[in-house]
Amino acid sequence: MSETSINTRISPRVRIDSKKNPKKNQIPVGIGILATMVVFALYLATISSKLSLLWIAGCCFGFILQKSRFCFTASVRDPYLTGSTSLTKAVLIAFAITTIGFTAIKFGAFLKGQPIPGQGFIVPISLATVVGAFLFGVGMVISGGCASGTLMRVGEGFSMQMLSLFFFVVGSLWGAHDFGWWQTNFISTGPKVFLPDVFGWIGALIVQFLIIGTLYILADKWENKKLQDQ
Amino acid sequence: MSEVILDCMGEACPVPLIKTQKKMATLSVGDTLIVQIDHSCAMKNVPEWARKEGYNVEIEEVAEGEWEIFIEKTK
Repeated sequence: MSETSINTRISPRVRIDSKKNPKKNQIPVGIGILATMVVFALYLATISSKLSLLWIAGCCFGFILQKSRFCFTASVRDPYLTGSTSLTKAVLIAFAITTIGFTAIKFGAFLKGQPIPGQGFIVPISLATVVGAFLFGVGMVISGGCASGTLMRVGEGFSMQMLSLFFFVVGSLWGAHDFGWWQTNFISTGPKVFLPDVFGWIGALIVQFLIIGTLYILADKWENKKLQDQ
Repeated sequence: MSEVILDCMGEACPVPLIKTQKKMATLSVGDTLIVQIDHSCAMKNVPEWARKEGYNVEIEEVAEGEWEIFIEKTK
């Protein structure tokens, strides 16, 4: 059966449905919210331009996340569950782009002899990383979203994930409360790795791109294999 | 040539997709499955999966934040 015949069969009942639930025009509300966001950004700018920048970046990030249906959870879950790796590849491309950006910023500072920004985020890797990643992975698949995905869907009004967000906050607070103990006993025992220290700047870039590229090719092959199996 | 309705309201990703996959396996060729969802993530992965399978897919937003995905089992 062709697509046209589905259309003719479906359209009458959709028309009935839309009479039952007339959709409101959301554009005035959208313009109102956009105006409020701009006004709030201007207000923040009077306190600190950094706050204002963070607010605008956050709003843009949320908008892109919602519109693109980008989901970090799905990127690692779907290859196993459905064989789809389109989001996995999207995340890998995002990693590749940020690699270029971060390297440019860090190398730029290094060349000028300034302290390299963001070095405080290089944290030790240990067994705690593996265990933590596994626990987070289980949690995000059950709750249906990672941190950004959960926040985005709460914004969309999906009620189940308001529950996720609540317990995400509870868990984070609990984690923050005990973090000092974990830090001294487990986390700080691991080695800190900054790739340019090991391979040099160009070497680090090549190693990182090789890993991302390999994963991308594997993801692509995995999807084709899964499709053929079905 | 029957129409089957699958209610996935309030189900978070990936539950609608798994339910759809299981339901589709039980349908015969020519049947249409109507998946009702209100989770935006399922709006992406259910049609994506169905199109990759080669089924005809139509999406209708029936109300604010509620969608119906029509999947026709073509093979």
